[in-house]
Amino acid sequence: MVDDNLKVGIADMKMAKANGQLVTYALGSCIGICLYDPVIRLGALIHIMLPLNMETGRKNTMKYADTGLRETIKQMEAKGAARSRIVAKIAGGAKMFEVNGASLGNIGQRNIESVHMNLKKEQIRLLNEDVGGTVARTLFFDVSTGMCNVRSYGKPELVM
Amino acid sequence: MIKQDYSELDALELDTLREIGSIGSGNAATALSDMLGQPIRIKSPEVRIMEYNEAIEWIGGPEKITAGVMVKLGGQINGIMLSVQQLEFTNLVLKSMLGKTVEDYIELGDMEKSVLVEVGNIMISTFINALSSLADINIELTVPAFAVDMQGAILTVPMAEYGGQSDYIMTIGGEYLYEGKTVPCKLLLSPDIRSLNTLLRKLGVNGG
Repeated sequence: MVDDNLKVGIADMKMAKANGQLVTYALGSCIGICLYDPVIRLGALIHIMLPLNMETGRKNTMKYADTGLRETIKQMEAKGAARSRIVAKIAGGAKMFEVNGASLGNIGQRNIESVHMNLKKEQIRLLNEDVGGTVARTLFFDVSTGMCNVRSYGKPELVM
Repeated sequence: MIKQDYSELDALELDTLREIGSIGSGNAATALSDMLGQPIRIKSPEVRIMEYNEAIEWIGGPEKITAGVMVKLGGQINGIMLSVQQLEFTNLVLKSMLGKTVEDYIELGDMEKSVLVEVGNIMISTFINALSSLADINIELTVPAFAVDMQGAILTVPMAEYGGQSDYIMTIGGEYLYEGKTVPCKLLLSPDIRSLNTLLRKLGVNGG
């Protein structure tokens, strides 16, 4: 098989149409959001790191759940996607370290809540998810089918 | 001048931070030598300011499985300190202290884990004690947390914690040498921006 994986970095987004596979590695508390319009087979994968964009200037849109989703949907629509057809699958939002008497905020949980809320706000249906827990995840998104694979350490690969 | 982002540090400030890294890592190496009963030296310490994805490549790729010990810093300095231990280092520790090695992290039992946490914790505490007396600041440390997982995800813990402040991660730290070879263990301090300013002011290199 040819390696036609398109790599999505942290605070990054990539789109592909009809064929190819989008992949993002080692999601910890970060979340990978797969958006897909099955009719035109347009897929986008966003790797967000934080729940809410409170930066002045807002240059790094893909770092945040709210601005990342909004901007990606806009770009998908520009390529012919219809909002009513776009569906979502998400993975990530883990808690990598269990800290006793935690002063460390649970960013993973806040990310999950923010992605849920913003999907609802953008009226995008969430089809499936693999979130929370304490394991890191690598997320593959096959744009030809809209199927996702999640790879974690010490666990069998999950298809969703 | 008050720094708004890690990328604004000048040469003198970077040198000062490198010196901190050198003293902190040196002390940690001595502590490690004592624990293992083997001579451990430090390689030249580094201060790095990296964009997120650059940092992931620098640590050795996102998916490689490593053990991480994390301690959160409080008091006058906020930050996260990580000890990222690759399998070769894990085995060096286990061999010296328990007389055994593992093929995979899956084999780690409670005893092995607690040894790794303790070694990471002592290295971190020694580093921080040196920093604390050097800069005359009070630093409190949390109980260490331990995880075995993809190192990319472990490294994003400090990134996410300070991600609202910067598109970069700053790490102060170094690598270690054992029998002339690099030991795959990284000790990394990532302060938040406000603490970075406090630190520089206390060390007398920042007028702000």
